Amino acid sequence: MDPLIVTQAINVLYAVSTLAVLALGLAVIFGLLGVLNIAHGEFIMIGAYCAYITQSNGWPYLAALPLTLMICGLLGAVVEWTMIRPLYRRPFDTLVVTWGLSLLLRKIAEAIFGLGYRSLAIPLPGTVQFFGTEYPIYRLVLIALSCAVVAGLVIWYGRSRTGSQIRAMVSNPELAQAYGISVRRLAAGTFITGTCLAGLGGVMVAPLVPVQPFMGLDYVLRTFFVLIVGGLGSVPGLLSGAAVIGGFDSVVSAATNATNGYFAVLVLSILFLWLRPRGIVARG
Amino acid sequence: MTIQKQGPTRRTLLSAAAAGAAFGTLPGLIRPAAAADEFKIGLFIALSGPASLFGPTQRACAELAAEEVNKAGGILGRQIKLIPTDAGGPPAESTKSAIRLMLEEKVDLFVGSHDSATREALVATIKGKVPYIYTPVYEGGECAFNTYVLADTPEQQIRPSLTWMMKEKGAKSIYMIGDDYVWPRKCNEHAKQYIAENGGKVAAEEYVPFGAPNKFEEVVTRIKSVKPDAVLITLVGADNVNFNRTFAGFGLDKDIARLSLLLEENTLLGVGAESSKNLYSSMSYYANAPGDANKKFKQAYVAKFGDKAPQLSLIGADCYAGVYCAKELVTKAGGTNAQKCMAASEGLTIPSAAGPWIMHGRHVDKTMFLADCKGTEFDIIKTFPNVKSGDECKA
Repeated sequence: MDPLIVTQAINVLYAVSTLAVLALGLAVIFGLLGVLNIAHGEFIMIGAYCAYITQSNGWPYLAALPLTLMICGLLGAVVEWTMIRPLYRRPFDTLVVTWGLSLLLRKIAEAIFGLGYRSLAIPLPGTVQFFGTEYPIYRLVLIALSCAVVAGLVIWYGRSRTGSQIRAMVSNPELAQAYGISVRRLAAGTFITGTCLAGLGGVMVAPLVPVQPFMGLDYVLRTFFVLIVGGLGSVPGLLSGAAVIGGFDSVVSAATNATNGYFAVLVLSILFLWLRPRGIVARG
Repeated sequence: MTIQKQGPTRRTLLSAAAAGAAFGTLPGLIRPAAAADEFKIGLFIALSGPASLFGPTQRACAELAAEEVNKAGGILGRQIKLIPTDAGGPPAESTKSAIRLMLEEKVDLFVGSHDSATREALVATIKGKVPYIYTPVYEGGECAFNTYVLADTPEQQIRPSLTWMMKEKGAKSIYMIGDDYVWPRKCNEHAKQYIAENGGKVAAEEYVPFGAPNKFEEVVTRIKSVKPDAVLITLVGADNVNFNRTFAGFGLDKDIARLSLLLEENTLLGVGAESSKNLYSSMSYYANAPGDANKKFKQAYVAKFGDKAPQLSLIGADCYAGVYCAKELVTKAGGTNAQKCMAASEGLTIPSAAGPWIMHGRHVDKTMFLADCKGTEFDIIKTFPNVKSGDECKA
């Protein structure tokens, strides 16, 4: 097979899988709790800076994971407690408050690290022969890792007791409460899971992009598109959204150029908002 | 309960905001005309947006120049007052600021270090009513009335470096990748001419949307299949970093040379040591450029702002030259009269961080450097002395 086509095919796979994992945190927070978390990109940014701190201190790269989970988890808990809790079921108000939060987080990052670009060494450098073409190892690992993270969360959500409690809370909070589920604690836990997942996404992409306070802006729009196109609150929704947005962008970019790829994403998102506002997979 | 509570709160907030806005405009109305003995320079730099990374050093360099000029007696006896203004947003925002600065602040002159889209908008707004000095790197061809250009032109930046790439490195086919706006497109038009003159060919010309969250896996894969000898990069900021990291990540840095036209110290730090092999940059200033002028400039910079001063680069050092250009121009012309300034600009000597520049046709002749990236440092491997701008304006 033509190595060019193979490489571009892996590029599509890479685009879709990383986008799915980057949108995962937002899918949890926006899809399940209905909180329009505009600060999603900033939690990705925080994850990336955690990776930067890890590497600049000479710690092994995997040490970034506990650090990120700790910081994003703690921050998520404080944010949920102080800002989000009074605003559940008021989506527009959550949008405003998380927008303010995103500005604050960017400025804090700027105050600590400055505006300059930080670059991380790739933990697994080099390329590997793959179906007759050379492909960067780290990107291949990232594809596998992204699939694993999404699959793991899907299985947990579908099989675990907490997963079924969340489903109960989402479809009928009063009834869930009446059945003895602590909706307040469950919602907080769900929010914190979302911020941690965003941070995790940041750790994963950090070695590939310039790490800087504004980097979250690159992700927030695209991940919202994923949920708009895919539909809220379901795993097939997330996956189909990531496949359509990431895949379409990547295929059109590969076949023509990046401008058309970006254009295609915007047109597609507008068409979905207009003609199918509940997305490909509407929650029942 | 909650609903009743919200109403008044929001109303109070609104009226407070309205009162605040009213107060905010007051100083503009009652500002005394007493400060007329100051020489006011509207300084357009990036205070917001992605380019705001450069804001602190742009401001610091301009302040250093202003302090030096003021200590030496100012401009025609008037002390310089810099008014740093944001040009990091969309061009329309900068033009609004320009109008405000001209009508309200009555600035005597503008110095601008920003992208070309903003320059075109500012030229159309200022209309030569006050002198406007444009400083970073650009695509050439700006001959607007009462506008003075210190920026590196394609003839200075691209011709020597690209010719060197083709002659010394044997690059025959060149792949062009840039952000989609006026600077990259016009630079590539010039580059095509230089490539043809050296008997090479353009492998492909490609642009990515400016300001979009771009990724470069597809572009790099395409470059890999085309197999050019060299890539000419007119991407800026984060796109430049992203592209170069992806390029090296796919292992293309081993065989394909890269020449980037806006690669300064901050961007190179982002690209990182492991992605900067076989990467070249060409500009009129690097923080480690040789010469006494730069040594003196850096000493003064560190003395004023300390060891934690923002990273020096061309974007920043250009503002230093911009303020000095204002001083020399207005002093020689005896004021800011447009015709007199235009006449005075011919043959004007302008002190810059890289040494003196001579202005001809409202552009400057200057020494250019070609740097090879060694890790995250620039290694200046070639100096092209006193390169003509190739952009001299007739009137």
